[in-house]
Amino acid sequence: MTASLQTAGGPVAPAAAVDPERRNAVITACVVGGVGCVGVAVPIVASFGPSEREKAAGGPVDVDISSIAPGQMQVVEWRGKPVWVLHRTPAMIASLKRDETLLADPLTKRAAYPTPAYVMKDPSLRSIKPDYFVAIGICTHLGCSPSGPFAPAENPQLGDQWGFVCPCHGSTFDVAGRVFKNKPASDNLEVPPYKFVTDALIVIGDDKKST
Amino acid sequence: MRGTSFRWVAAAMGVIWVGVNAQEPRLDEWPSGRATDMAALQSGARTFANYCLNCHGASLMRWNRLGDIGLDEKQIKASLIFGNQRVTDLMTVAMNPHDAKTWFGKAPPDLSVIVRARNTVEHSGTDYIYTLLRGFYRDRSTQTGWNNVVYPNISMPDIFWERQGPREATLTRTEYQDVPASIGKGGPEQRLVQTVSQFDANGVAVVNRTELDHGEPGFAYGFKSADAAAAKAFDAQVADLVAYLNWMSEPTAQTRRRIGVWAIAFLVVFVGVGRWLNAVFWRDVH
Amino acid sequence: MGLHATNYKGLLGWIDARMPSLMTAFRTHMSEYYAPKNFNIWYFFGSFALMVLVIQFVSGILLAMHYKPDSNQAFWSVEFIMREVNGGWFIRYMHSTGASFFFIVVYLHMLRGMLYGSYRKPRELVWIVGCLIFLALMAESFFGYLLPWGQMSFWGAQVIINLFSSIPKIGDVLSTWIRGDFVVGDATLNRFFSLHIIAVPLALLVLVVAHIFALHDVGSNNPDGIEIKDQTDANGRPLDGIPFHPYYTVHDLYGLGFFFLAYCAVLFFAPEMGGVFLEGNNFIPADPFQTPQHIAPLWYFTPYYSILRATTSEFLLWLALGTLFLGVLAYLRVRGWWPRLTVSAVTFVAFVLMTVPQVRLDPKLWGVILMGLSVMVFALLPWIDQSPVKSMRYRPRWHMAVVGVFIVAFVVLGYLGMNPPTPATTLVAQLCAACYFGFFFLMPWWSRMGTFKPVPTRVKFAAH
Repeated sequence: MTASLQTAGGPVAPAAAVDPERRNAVITACVVGGVGCVGVAVPIVASFGPSEREKAAGGPVDVDISSIAPGQMQVVEWRGKPVWVLHRTPAMIASLKRDETLLADPLTKRAAYPTPAYVMKDPSLRSIKPDYFVAIGICTHLGCSPSGPFAPAENPQLGDQWGFVCPCHGSTFDVAGRVFKNKPASDNLEVPPYKFVTDALIVIGDDKKST
Repeated sequence: MRGTSFRWVAAAMGVIWVGVNAQEPRLDEWPSGRATDMAALQSGARTFANYCLNCHGASLMRWNRLGDIGLDEKQIKASLIFGNQRVTDLMTVAMNPHDAKTWFGKAPPDLSVIVRARNTVEHSGTDYIYTLLRGFYRDRSTQTGWNNVVYPNISMPDIFWERQGPREATLTRTEYQDVPASIGKGGPEQRLVQTVSQFDANGVAVVNRTELDHGEPGFAYGFKSADAAAAKAFDAQVADLVAYLNWMSEPTAQTRRRIGVWAIAFLVVFVGVGRWLNAVFWRDVH
Repeated sequence: MGLHATNYKGLLGWIDARMPSLMTAFRTHMSEYYAPKNFNIWYFFGSFALMVLVIQFVSGILLAMHYKPDSNQAFWSVEFIMREVNGGWFIRYMHSTGASFFFIVVYLHMLRGMLYGSYRKPRELVWIVGCLIFLALMAESFFGYLLPWGQMSFWGAQVIINLFSSIPKIGDVLSTWIRGDFVVGDATLNRFFSLHIIAVPLALLVLVVAHIFALHDVGSNNPDGIEIKDQTDANGRPLDGIPFHPYYTVHDLYGLGFFFLAYCAVLFFAPEMGGVFLEGNNFIPADPFQTPQHIAPLWYFTPYYSILRATTSEFLLWLALGTLFLGVLAYLRVRGWWPRLTVSAVTFVAFVLMTVPQVRLDPKLWGVILMGLSVMVFALLPWIDQSPVKSMRYRPRWHMAVVGVFIVAFVVLGYLGMNPPTPATTLVAQLCAACYFGFFFLMPWWSRMGTFKPVPTRVKFAAH
C-alpha cells in the first residue's frame, strides 16, 4: 500500500504561498456568480408553483343556501375537495352543548388543520352562524369522505349522538366536525375560509371583507 | 400525393409570391406611442370586449389578467364581461365554431396572439391590423357586402362601419395580364393593365381599365370620408384597440424588458469580475 | 483493507480511497490536462456549446412539465406556459433562444476547425464524432420544431418528410412509417415529442462525452497548428501546455460572460429576432387545409434547403460536367489500377444517373441527395484537406480567400433559403452551390498549391 502513495492522486508537496489577489478574485467571482445563479433559480423554482390556471380553478365558489332545508346538507367542490354546507336544526345545535368529555379536542386546540378565527367565537359551534355549518368533508385520519349526517340511534357507531361516520376506519365526528375520543382520527374536521355575502349566499374560499 | 407535392408547393409559392408582391398594399404605420399607455390599453380592452368577442375568442387570455393594465375585478365584471363568466375564466367565444364556419365560410381566428402571428419580415403585425381594421369599403359584389384593401374578399364584415362613417374607396391595381392581340397579330400578349375601381358609399363600383406602355405592377388605394371627424376619432379608437391586441399577444413583454435591463447590468459586472479573475491567473503564464 | 492509497484529505480523501476514478478523471481532464497556452477567441465556442447544451436540457425539462404533446392542446399549452406558468415566458425564451444560439456557436466552432486544421491527424475521430453531433443536433431541432404545432411547424415537417417520398420504390412507405399516419398529425407529434425529449438528447450526451474523450486522448490543437506534445520538459509535460484547470476554466468563465451578454440581449429584448428565431407564422395554430404563403425552414437549415431547391434539370447538366471534370482530375491523381477503377466507375455511374434519359434520377431526388451530401461532406475534411500545414496562419494568403468564398457562399445560400425562389435568385443559389461543392471536392488540389510559410516549433504567445 505504501508503494502506491506515489501514484495516488492529490497534493503531495505543500501548496505554494497564498496569493491574496488571486484569493480575492476567486471569492468575488464566486459571490457574483452565486448572485447570478440565484437570479436564474428564482423563475425556475417559481415555475413549479401553481400557475394561473390552477389558481383560477382553485378560486372561490358561490353557494346558494336558501334552498337547503333544515337538517339537509349540500356538498360543493372547492379546490378539488368536497365542502359540506349543513343546515343545522335546533336539535343538532342543542346536541353540541353536551358533555364534552366524549370529544377528543372539544376546544379545537390542535392546529394541524387550521380553523379560521372567525368561526371560533363559540368553540362548540365552529361556524359563523349557528344554523349553517361549513367544513371540508375529508376525514382527518387518512382522507376518506365520511358519511352522514346521522340522527341519534341511526348508526350503531355513533350510538345516541348526531354526527358523521367515516367508512374507512370508523372515525366519528359531531355536527360541528369535532372528532370523538378513541377514534383513529385525532383532529377535528378542517373549516375552509368562507363568508356570508348575503343571508342566502355564502362564498367558500374567500373571507376578505368587501370594501 | 407522392414527392410531387413538394414541387407543387414550391411552384405555388413562387407564383403566389409574385402575385402577392403585385398586390401588396402600402400599410399605415400604427402610432406606437400608445403601446404602454394604460388609458389607451383600457380603452382598447373595452372596444375588444364590445366588438370582437362576439365572434372571435381569445382563449388564452384570462379576464383577471386585465389587472395588469390597471383594471380591477369590479370594473372587469361590471363593464367588460357580458354573460355569467367568472373573472377567473378565459375569454372564450360565445359562437359555436361549426356555426361560424357555416355562416362565414371559416371560423373567425382566435385573437390571443394575432399581432405576433401577423409579424413578418416585410411588416409588423400592428401595422397590418391597424390598416386592416380601417381598410374596409362597401362592395356589393361580396357575400357580406364589404371588402377590405389589406385582405381581399375577407369573410369578416365591417363591424365598425357605424363608427367610421360612410366612405368612398378608389382602388388602383396595376398588373400584367394576357390581352387578346389586335386582329392579324396572332395569340394573346402580356400587357401592363391598370384597373381603377371606384366604390361609392353604397358599394356600387365603377371600373375603368387602361393599358399602360410603362409602369410598375402594384396596388394603391385611397378613401374619401363623408364625415372626416368621425373617421379621425375612429382612427384613434382603432389605434387603442391595436395597442390592446399588441399587449394581449404578449402580456409579459414589459416585464421581460424590465428584467432584461437588470440582467444586462448584472452581466456587465460579471464580465468585469471575470476579466479581473482571468488576468490574475494568466499573469503566471509566460 | 481494500482501500486505495490517497493523498487527499477529509471527505475528498474518503471518497478517493473508495472511488479513485472520480479524482483521476478530474486530473486527466482538468487539472493535469495540458492544453496549448495560445488559444484565441475561436477556442471559446466549444465551451459555449457545452453551456448551451446544459441550458437546453434545463429549460427543456422545465417546459416538459407543462407542455401537452396532443395536436389539440400543443399550441395552447405553449401559450399557457408563456402567460400562466410563473416565469414560463422566461423558460420558453431560454429554450427558443438557446436553439438558435446552439447553431451559431456550433457553426463558429466548426469554422475554427477549418481555420486551424483541427480535424487533421490525429484528431480525425474527434471531427467525425463532431459531425455526428451536428447531425444529431439537426435531428433534435427538426423534431423539436414540430412541437409548438404552429403553421410553420406543421408545414415544415410536412415538406421535409415528403422529401423521403421522393426515394424510388420505398419512398411512400418510408414517409408513412416516419409519420405514423398518412399525413402529419397527432401520431407524428407524439413520437417527435418522445424523440426530442429523450432519444436524441441521450444520443447527444453520449456523443458529446465521446467527443471530449477523443480530444483529450490526443490533446488539443492550437492556432499555430503545431503539436505541443513534440516539445516536452523533463517531466514529460508539453513546454507550451498549461493545465486546463485553473487557466482555461477561468478563461472560459470570462468568455461565458460575453456569451451570456449576447444571449440575454436576445432573450430579453429581441427573442423573435425579426421573425428569424421565432416566426410570425408559427403563432397561428396548425391548419392542415391552409398552406402558408411562405414556408421556410429555420435559419440554420436554410443553406442546405437552398441547395435542395437550386437543383433543377439545367443545374444537373452543369453538375454532370463538373462530375466529369472532377473524375478526370481524380483519375490523374490516384495511382494503381484499383483506385483508378473505383474513380472511373463512380464518375461514370454518377454521370449516367444525371444525364441519360430513362435511367437518370429526378432532379428532386438529386436535390435530396445533394442536400444530404452538403451536410455530410464536412466529415470528409480530414482526408480531402491535403495541405502540408495544418493552420491557416502558415498557408498562402489566397487559401484564406478561398475559405472566404466558401463562407460567403454559405451565408448567401442561407439568406436565399429564407425567401421564396425567383429565376434570378435560383441562378445565384446554383452559383453558390457550385462554390460550396467546389470548395470541398477540389480541396485535394487547391490545398496543396502555393507557397507555404515555415511552421515554428514553439507556439506564438504573448504574455498577458
